[in-house]
Amino acid sequence: GQVCEVHHYRMEASCLELALEGERLCKVGDYRAGVSFFEAAIQVGTEDLQILSAIYSQLGNAYFHLHDYNKAMEYHRHDLTLTRTIGDHLGEAKASGNLGNTLKVLGRFDDAVVCCQRHLDISRDQHDRVGEARALYNFGNVFHAKGKSICWSGVDPGEFPEEAMIALRRASEYYEANLSIVKELGDRAAQGRTYGNLGNTHYLLGNFRNAVVSHEQRLLIAKEFGDRSAERRAYCNLGNAYIFLGEFEVAAEHYKRTLQLARQLQDRAVEAQACYSLGNTYTLLQDYERAIDYHLKHLIIAQDLNDRIGEGRACWSLGNAYTALGNHDQAIHFAEKHLEISRETGDRSGELTARM
Amino acid sequence: SAAVPSKQILHSDDIEMEPETMETKSVTDYFSKFQMGTLLGAR
Repeated sequence: GQVCEVHHYRMEASCLELALEGERLCKVGDYRAGVSFFEAAIQVGTEDLQILSAIYSQLGNAYFHLHDYNKAMEYHRHDLTLTRTIGDHLGEAKASGNLGNTLKVLGRFDDAVVCCQRHLDISRDQHDRVGEARALYNFGNVFHAKGKSICWSGVDPGEFPEEAMIALRRASEYYEANLSIVKELGDRAAQGRTYGNLGNTHYLLGNFRNAVVSHEQRLLIAKEFGDRSAERRAYCNLGNAYIFLGEFEVAAEHYKRTLQLARQLQDRAVEAQACYSLGNTYTLLQDYERAIDYHLKHLIIAQDLNDRIGEGRACWSLGNAYTALGNHDQAIHFAEKHLEISRETGDRSGELTARM
Repeated sequence: SAAVPSKQILHSDDIEMEPETMETKSVTDYFSKFQMGTLLGAR
């Protein structure tokens, strides 16, 4: 009996130590190492089912951050089964929320909706307003992703198939319901996130003025928190909305702020995207010299990042801009480069455009 | 040449989404609340 007790204590202590180290590693963003510790903790085992639930949940989240969504789904499922078995309602709500988010990323929208509904129902039963708001935000994200998945590429926002528009309208309803709660709770960070995604939903619905209103709110809150990544996202989204409002100068100003922030944050991929957007905006303004300047900047970063698709787009845009300026030698040079890259990347539409 | 139509320069993938909010369960919190006393007692 005593030996068994000692063994049990050692097992619990060792499992806990491993789990605590996994938790510490995930907190500092080392998810890969965190996963190893959590998996080792499971190997050792624990009889405490609350601890096991916390390990499953964190493993699911770690895999989610590592973009291994099938593994994330597996662990959030284990957590859901466990919390249901032990009758832990709050734990079940959380597991449902996490599983819903994971299923959304995997494109399994109908299954995700079931999880979001469970998260919402439990939160309401428990009079948990924070949980209710979070479930509504997740719901909005699922319908947004569903709507976006049906959107045809090459079609402007607001002109998508009816099925996509229905999903997007539902997303905006969930975001509005979330907003009324998080405003009541005075949770500014949550309001910021919701305004951002609500703005994106209005954008896809073709309600560009409403999109601007939401993104302006998102920007304000990002500044309150000194959250420069969120600020950068808001400027980029505002730029996109102003393009569709035909206010190209205003769009350019917003993309310039995006570019500044991308440089401050040392995010080369976003810097490239901002240069590309600026190149396109100056093309719309028929200021081809500036357009070329930004497209060349985009081209250099795309080459640095070994992004052949980005490079192809830059070449195509440069070909157009040089054609507009009557510089046929450069136009042909970039058109040929674009064709060569399109063939290599198997970009059929790019190849067809190049031939035209 | 005239301005490039908007549909050729922007598509739905260009929008920047806010991050998902994942629910968290912490061993640290649980351990400090419920387990410390039990384990110390077992010694």
